[in-house]
Amino acid sequence: MSDGGAGAGSAAVALRAAGDLWGRDVPASLARLRELYPGCEAGVIGPAGERGVLFASIVNNRGRSLGRGGLGAVMGAKRLKAVVVAGGGERRPPVADPERLAFVAYEAEKLLKANPITSQALPEFGTSVLVNVLDQAGALPTRNFRASQFEHAGAISGETLRRDYVQRRAACRGCGIGCARRTSTGDASGEGPEYESIWALGAACGVGDLKAIVEAGYACNRAGMDTITMGSTIACAMELTEEGLLADGPRFGDAAAVIALCEATARGEGLGEELGQGSARFAARHGRPELSMSVKALELPAYDPRGMTGQGLAFATSNRGGCHLRANMLGPEILGVPKMIDRFATLGKAGLLINMQNLNAVLDSLSVCKFTAFAMKEDYYARLLSAVWGETVEPQELLRVGERIWNAERLFNLAAGFSRADDTLPRRLLEEPVTEGPAAGRVVDLAPMLDEYYIARGWDTDGRPRPAKLERLGLADPRPAVGAAG
Amino acid sequence: MSSAVLEQFRRIGRDLFVAGLVSSHGGNMSVRQGDRILITRRGSMLAQLEERDLVDIGLEENDANVTLASTEIVVHRAIYQQTSALAIVHTHPPYAIAQSLVKDEIVPVDSEGSYLLHKVPVVEAQLTAGSAEVAELLPRWLKEYDLVMLRGHGPFAIGHLLEEAYQLTSVLEMACRILTISEGMGGELKEYRKGSDQYGSW
Repeated sequence: MSDGGAGAGSAAVALRAAGDLWGRDVPASLARLRELYPGCEAGVIGPAGERGVLFASIVNNRGRSLGRGGLGAVMGAKRLKAVVVAGGGERRPPVADPERLAFVAYEAEKLLKANPITSQALPEFGTSVLVNVLDQAGALPTRNFRASQFEHAGAISGETLRRDYVQRRAACRGCGIGCARRTSTGDASGEGPEYESIWALGAACGVGDLKAIVEAGYACNRAGMDTITMGSTIACAMELTEEGLLADGPRFGDAAAVIALCEATARGEGLGEELGQGSARFAARHGRPELSMSVKALELPAYDPRGMTGQGLAFATSNRGGCHLRANMLGPEILGVPKMIDRFATLGKAGLLINMQNLNAVLDSLSVCKFTAFAMKEDYYARLLSAVWGETVEPQELLRVGERIWNAERLFNLAAGFSRADDTLPRRLLEEPVTEGPAAGRVVDLAPMLDEYYIARGWDTDGRPRPAKLERLGLADPRPAVGAAG
Repeated sequence: MSSAVLEQFRRIGRDLFVAGLVSSHGGNMSVRQGDRILITRRGSMLAQLEERDLVDIGLEENDANVTLASTEIVVHRAIYQQTSALAIVHTHPPYAIAQSLVKDEIVPVDSEGSYLLHKVPVVEAQLTAGSAEVAELLPRWLKEYDLVMLRGHGPFAIGHLLEEAYQLTSVLEMACRILTISEGMGGELKEYRKGSDQYGSW
């Protein structure tokens, strides 16, 4: 990597040689960058990204990851180790109506403080509070989704994490919720684990040893790897072993193997080299592609759709595959936000899901934490933005922006060859009923849900946006939206 | 129609009547399902809804079922076409209607009403029931507020779920009862809410 040499300056952009940063793990890279650029903000990749692990993440200097989808592998392929923003001074965007902003922010804060999810559950336990909640609902995927309740859920729960490992809470800048956790096992310390990590490296692999799960999470964080895909890929390997298709492979419940495989994947050694390609490729290579619990080759997170069918539709229709961040029906199907709906019902959820997908697309664009949406509706975000801009932004306008983003992404996917056939779930979730617990006997009846969803989206039966829809969204000529893929 | 949807209509319809938010044959409700609307039948009794009382009709285009649909179908359709609403509840609550006859906006003074509504705009139309005038007027307001009061007639509340729209309606009527009682008592309101002087600008 050579110095691009745009030069120093308050608004200059420069490419610098990575030098001795290359090869360092995430914490060491960030420490070195802090030496080189005191006070900087940075996003780096670790050894996983450098080696091309397909689920490598980008980690910022507050320990938070852009975990899903393998953006770290993209950086690594371009031999880009870090992106650093350095320099002094406040460059806040101007606020048109500070008094109005303060008023609306105060009203929003009232909602956050009154809602037990944002004022108690997340601050007190972090996201890991969900382990027991999802287990009790029969929606905690266990042993590669072979079950939906885990007999060791209590041992790996948020309550246990707080009691035995949490050192202190942490929060993103200016956040009153503070869902992040600094933990220590005595032997090591670090960030997390979050709920998804506990699930992926724990219940998904049949592991009930929380200390091992925490340390496996640390290993992923050091290497810069997505814990969800890592855990889910190990779980896939465990099932292949149990099925006799992987000689000397790991077995469900083997905590030491989980840690060892995380480290081996980061180093590209042994079975780890294969695991670094993710579960879809791994399962296909070993002759059982259906054992990859993924959608569009992205591993599913910690919600079993057989216990919350709307989440199944959310996974199937997510533009980036098996992801809970594009839309999460946890609110209406489990937590009663905004209201409790029948989590096993098949029809009548598409509109709610679409609204959530559109809103989340906007929240991502605004860089707003999605947890605030447990307490706030779109009108609050619109009023906050109106105060900043000094002109009225209607909630409907925000949602329309989100709808436009969603459809533009859809057009990109269609241009890349995706179709209705890809808007599906792993066969297990469609055909294998849960055997025990509150979701016993359930599978996801996806086809009618998908039909209803396409109609509500204004798409044809194959999932292509209709011309009238594109016209209304200003996407009639999709080329600017889909770029090279068009 | 799924039994879960019918049950939701029945439950909320019954509650609306029992709470005194509608008269025997007054009010209407609907949900949006993709490009279809499921709306209560014209002349149906919300407290006694049966499957035959829910009418399935197009969102964009009319069909024969318009002969059965609520008088307000034109308003519901316009709201769905112009907002992200997935459910609408329209009622005739007495205290809210009384307040709308003397005010241009309703600003609750109770805690729950302040918290959930802040302010409710009161809009006016010459033809208040099922008119093109209301269909043109209401969606513009409902783009910014989840509940809008039609003077002398009643509120239209929207939500992602029927229960949300019902809740807003119920909160409005309770807030208006409290307003009416406290205003009737004379005396000066003891303010307890920081920033309440700005609620009118909500």
